[in-house]
Amino acid sequence: MVRVLLKFSKDITSEPITAQVIMKQEALINILTARIDQQGGEMLIEIPSAHAEKVIEAFRKKGVIVEPHKPVVVDKEDCINCGACFSLCPVNAIKFNEDFSVAFNDEKCLGSACRLCVDACPVRAIKVNE
Amino acid sequence: MKKLVEEKGIKRAFKEVDVVTTGTFGAMCSSGAVINLGHSDPPIKIHRAWINDVEVSHPGAAVDLYIGATQMSETRPFEYGGGHVIEDLIRGKEVELRAIACGTACYPRTKLETVITKDDLNQFILLNFRNCYQRYVCATNSSDEILYTYMGKLLPRFGNATFSGAGELNPLMNDSDYETIGIGTRIFLGGTQGYVIGEGTQHDPGNLMGTIMVRGDCKKMNPEFIRGAAFAKYGTTLYVGIGIPIPILNEGLVKKVAIRDEDILVPIVDYGVPRRERPKLGKASYKELKSGKIVINDKTVKVSPLSSLEKARKIAETLKSWIEEGIFYLSAPVERLPLNTVFKPMKQSKDIVFVEALMRPAVTCREDEEIEDVAKKIVTYSVNHVVVVDVQGKLKGIVTSWDITRAVAENRKSLADIIVRKVITATPDEPVEAAARKMTQHNISALPVINRERKVLGIVASEDVAKLIGGR
Repeated sequence: MVRVLLKFSKDITSEPITAQVIMKQEALINILTARIDQQGGEMLIEIPSAHAEKVIEAFRKKGVIVEPHKPVVVDKEDCINCGACFSLCPVNAIKFNEDFSVAFNDEKCLGSACRLCVDACPVRAIKVNE
Repeated sequence: MKKLVEEKGIKRAFKEVDVVTTGTFGAMCSSGAVINLGHSDPPIKIHRAWINDVEVSHPGAAVDLYIGATQMSETRPFEYGGGHVIEDLIRGKEVELRAIACGTACYPRTKLETVITKDDLNQFILLNFRNCYQRYVCATNSSDEILYTYMGKLLPRFGNATFSGAGELNPLMNDSDYETIGIGTRIFLGGTQGYVIGEGTQHDPGNLMGTIMVRGDCKKMNPEFIRGAAFAKYGTTLYVGIGIPIPILNEGLVKKVAIRDEDILVPIVDYGVPRRERPKLGKASYKELKSGKIVINDKTVKVSPLSSLEKARKIAETLKSWIEEGIFYLSAPVERLPLNTVFKPMKQSKDIVFVEALMRPAVTCREDEEIEDVAKKIVTYSVNHVVVVDVQGKLKGIVTSWDITRAVAENRKSLADIIVRKVITATPDEPVEAAARKMTQHNISALPVINRERKVLGIVASEDVAKLIGGR
């Protein structure tokens, strides 16, 4: 599976782009998060590896900006290992090590498409790479 | 020690262990630092002062200031505050001080601006009046909105929970009768040695909610164990690291320090109710809390610590090594802390006002009415809001005069198209302050008042609330 972030500008929100791409490419695209309204927005999707290239191409042709998925970045120097972020993660990407230090799983993290943990960090050690 | 007692018993543990070290590292809002600036030339008797735009209150004579951890920056509120000023100074950073004064014969200066570091201060003393809660509640949220609280970010509909404190590692939990922790007890504080100077405010040992007042020299502190912090949309605070050695003077103390996480229960409290007495939804032990999951109303809910358990352990271990190396000496308290104080609620000389007292009958309509008819109601009753209800009088939506105006401008014909269906509501037993906050937050001017069955009972408008609050 390939994870990519789709960015829709407000000019293309009225078109059923995702449905068109799915039907035309016959790809089982999994939508992980979607935050789109009339003003545009973002969608994080998973594409089966075999279809990835063609699907990305198809989205780009429709005017969608396709970016690689970026997990949150944690400044380990700043992090105090309090774990305030832990219970906010919807995909269990945050875990405690044996010594109660906090570990982030970049593979699972939804990154900029989620952000639930970002403002919960009391020392602002969690950032999103735009 | 806890394992030793379980495996070999109290008598054996008493023989083998002299001291048990404890630790906690958490947000302790009732913290701050006293600084003394020395005198300027010409001298100033400071009336108000700011460091890095954070107002630092003026507790004493001319140049003594108190940096309160929760005081927020006037230019970066909710992100930077007194806790950060204390951390920046401890890190040796330069900070900007501004002050104003009235001017007197002996203190003629009325304005001051200077840049200082901790080396320029005569005293820089951490003086925290309530730290180190013995245990604290577990917070969750039944409401439909994300709540930003001093217990962190609480997701709607019991989406998560948070807790604070170190459980079995908490200093006060290991000496719950305050036999060895008292006035004068030497402790680990922020990475250096500090002292307990008394019971903390709200000290309530009878309910296992004891607290302590502490002091320590900030100039010697280590920023690894004292950190400014900000809880989003709540405000700033200070994470304080405290470790206390418990000398094992008798077998009774062995029993007390053997306390385990599973024996320490805390109530699960619903912060979705904005009252002093919030509903309690059950209990959870620190063992469950530290496992990351608790059960609320038969549903498994993820739970975050807000205190760092990793740092708490590090503090207890650091304190242990200090004692072993002979650089930290245990001290006997010169006076015991009171065991009988209780935490009373505030005396309020004015009665609290509820939404019920302010609400008026709502002007209502049905979903299938014509826009023109709703417009007429707005004019006839001279209101701005019409509440949409079904046959049973249950809330379906709301229409404002603005929605009607826009419908006319955009040539929309159907009322159903312009109804706002996601309605922010109030209940009759809600304090007026809570309703006012909802209106401010959502930038709206009225709230339909509903009961449990979502039946509309009336409406409360911002102008009525403003009259009440403004008229006090």
